[in-house]
Amino acid sequence: MFVIDKLPETIGNQLTEKWLFHSVSDLMNDGQFGEQWLVLTEKEVSVWSTDGVQVSKLAISDITDARAVGGVGGGSLLADTKGGPVVLIRYTASLTSIFGFASKLIGAVAKGEERPTASEKEFPRNCPNCRNPLPDGSQACPVCKSNGKVLFRMLSYAKPYRIQMVAAAIMLIFTTLVELIPPILTKMILDDVLAPKDMGSTLLWIVIGLAATSLVVTLMQTVRGIIGVWIGSKLMGDLRHDVYHSLMRLSLSFFDRRQTSQFIGRVNNDSEAMRQFMTDGVIWVAGESLRVVAIFIIMFSFDWKLTLLAMLPIPLMILVSSVLWPMIGRRWYQQWRSIFRLNALVGDSLQGIRVVKAFGQETTEMSRYTAANKELVRYNIRIEGLWQGMFPVFALVAGAGSLLIWYYGGKTVLNGGISIGTLIALITYLGMLLGPLQWVSQMINWATHAISAADRVFEIMDTPSDVPETANPAHIGRVRGEVEFHQVTYGYEKHHPVLKNVNLKVAAGEMIGLVGHSGAGKSTFINLICRFYDTDEGFITIDGTDICQISQLDLRKQIGVVLQETFLFDGTIAENIAYSKPEATEEEIMRAAKIANAHDFIVRLPDGYDTRVGERGHKLSGGEKQRVSIARAIIHDPRILILDEATASVDTETERQIQEAISRLVKGRTTFAIAHRLSTLRNADRLVVLERGKIVEVGTHEELLSTEGAYFKLVEAQKEMSKIKGVENA
Amino acid sequence: MSDPNGIGNESNPNDPYEINILEPGAVSFSRSQGGVFQGVVEGKAYEEMILFRIFPFQYTTKYISVRDAKGDEIGVIRDIDQLDEESRAEMDKELQLRYFLPLVTRIDAVKQKSDLWIWDLQTNLGPTRIVMRNLHEHMQYPSVNRIILTDINGKRCEIHDWQALDGHSRNQLKDVI
Repeated sequence: MFVIDKLPETIGNQLTEKWLFHSVSDLMNDGQFGEQWLVLTEKEVSVWSTDGVQVSKLAISDITDARAVGGVGGGSLLADTKGGPVVLIRYTASLTSIFGFASKLIGAVAKGEERPTASEKEFPRNCPNCRNPLPDGSQACPVCKSNGKVLFRMLSYAKPYRIQMVAAAIMLIFTTLVELIPPILTKMILDDVLAPKDMGSTLLWIVIGLAATSLVVTLMQTVRGIIGVWIGSKLMGDLRHDVYHSLMRLSLSFFDRRQTSQFIGRVNNDSEAMRQFMTDGVIWVAGESLRVVAIFIIMFSFDWKLTLLAMLPIPLMILVSSVLWPMIGRRWYQQWRSIFRLNALVGDSLQGIRVVKAFGQETTEMSRYTAANKELVRYNIRIEGLWQGMFPVFALVAGAGSLLIWYYGGKTVLNGGISIGTLIALITYLGMLLGPLQWVSQMINWATHAISAADRVFEIMDTPSDVPETANPAHIGRVRGEVEFHQVTYGYEKHHPVLKNVNLKVAAGEMIGLVGHSGAGKSTFINLICRFYDTDEGFITIDGTDICQISQLDLRKQIGVVLQETFLFDGTIAENIAYSKPEATEEEIMRAAKIANAHDFIVRLPDGYDTRVGERGHKLSGGEKQRVSIARAIIHDPRILILDEATASVDTETERQIQEAISRLVKGRTTFAIAHRLSTLRNADRLVVLERGKIVEVGTHEELLSTEGAYFKLVEAQKEMSKIKGVENA
Repeated sequence: MSDPNGIGNESNPNDPYEINILEPGAVSFSRSQGGVFQGVVEGKAYEEMILFRIFPFQYTTKYISVRDAKGDEIGVIRDIDQLDEESRAEMDKELQLRYFLPLVTRIDAVKQKSDLWIWDLQTNLGPTRIVMRNLHEHMQYPSVNRIILTDINGKRCEIHDWQALDGHSRNQLKDVI
């Protein structure tokens, strides 16, 4: 279900016929914020102000087509008429998709074509209550929902360990109660032994009692501590596991938009903050609240008037805490963000260390780091300072209570109202009470820290994958390899399409060469086949089945890729070759490497197939890595093969070897190959020439040369280039 | 030659790899009946033109790329102040419309509700609300006191100089930047 704003009656009443579509925009035509309504009927398109005044109208018969023209942060809906284009309505970026749909609908109505149907993702998703955007894939409005949810969700992680938690809690209750015994014993010493100066066996028994309580308390604390550590570590493990799993599940587009280094910190630090709160925090809160209640009961039973006096400063403390609570939360986040920036900066410059060194920019990087570091220091001082400053203030306020007891309690003792022992016991209990109350601020700290960490962690977990797994996947078994694009449109930024309306039918076993300038959409084309991203419009089928209906595991089984950037995982060469088929035998691995022209160089390495590669391992050359990744694709034995600039950065001899390996690999498989060097595509059955996201030519090398179109130009340009290269080489 | 690519030389209009700087006298811009930005450049009329700021953060009225409806560059205007009055006004208006970036004049409130940050703002284009999932991915600092706020849906607002805002606004900002 999606929410569409209802057309105001003032406008609806003025319409003479049923309208096909309406939508509200958030900008006036002069660019000011304001609402305007677009209404489409079979005969005309009109724009209305909210109070029902018609701003403009255009007869459908005058319109030839309609377009949504994207600006930055906003856009406008344009109708092409015989008298030139006309601006219908303007809107901010939030409404891009709905007006994009409107433009297509208007265009279709005007041209008498088949009308598009709106899908849910084209409508702005706002909470019907508060008008704030809803998170993707969920109808639960995060603003309207209660804040305690995060807390409960966090605590749900403790569920599997409830037996241990209960044990810890029981011990905690017991310890707390035992800890309250000593002041009573002290009172007895004062009143029954010291005051009457009566040295009987009582003193000894009381001292033994004191010793016993401290022994029990120590024992309990130790056991509870061990249970706490155990639960804590398990919880941490569970949290990290879940975060990492969510990360792996997310689509590529999630990572395209973010620096990956941030996640390393996120997985660890945020789960640590949550762990700390759940084990130390929760147990601590439970224990201390219990203690506070127990102390009050005992104190009231001693002397309720004095107790009330002692409680006077407490409302003040609660007031101060509630003022500081949100402030502390924000400052923690502020500090977290500066750590985050610092980490991102380090991750960035270390990943690009070659570039940094090559351009001699070490000092710039250092000064960038210094600036970010300074900022972190500043925020650190701000938060820690605020928090250190709070202690003494709390102590002072709380201390006022004991002053009151000393004064009025002392008077009562002199009047004979209570015994000295009772006064001392009251003072001792009050002291014990102030501890937890002072620590309310620490608790606030922990809790806010943990909740904001939990927010960030759950944000990752809740982000739906942009390429959702279908609920009822079609079983495709082993496919033949027919691939068909049906009117596919896609853009990394939704409204900046990189591929536009692409139609292509590829027969099983056919080799397609994708040709075009960089940025023409070749890589996007390939990414869509792999379903790294989902199409914005149209669909792709394999053997007639929409790839969205195929489980991703099944799909990837059918597709093998050799990418421009070869990435080898940390592990041996053998492990890397067998990445997609861990059960592959040694002979299979060797055979794959042999076909990939990699066997010989691997055997010549001192550690052979057991050579460690990847970040910490042996450095293979670009061509060698490429051949290992070809072997990886061979062992995968896919029906559909994707080669993205497989020979981009190697010398001629290596290229020949790789070419040879590839030509063995493509046999009998549907292949999509991208290459800048057009000569490498001479084996292709058909070449597809892309220009600005559109297919402009399809045909064999010879056909395309004879038509002297876009491909011809590309070939000519490359000939020029090789002439220059020839001169350089000579 | 010390400068083989001629980067430092005066322009040669016939070279396709040369930036075609448009002389103020050779261009004129206006708005069509339908409200579309159009113009005549170097004697050729275009019924629809698109403007791009080349350095959108650094210069708002300088270095403007003028393109035809297909997005091919016709040329670059160094500074729109050099143009005649009508062209300058239309160009300014078109840039304002195409680069929708309201300037924040006052920050009414920055609230955090569960995992959303909600900014209630007054801008030069009227009041608006910006909703962010978090701060660290939706606030950009192109220069020291300048902040670009981006909404979950891509709507953007600019705080030109947060130090120059009124006391209430600065207070709202204090703990979030």
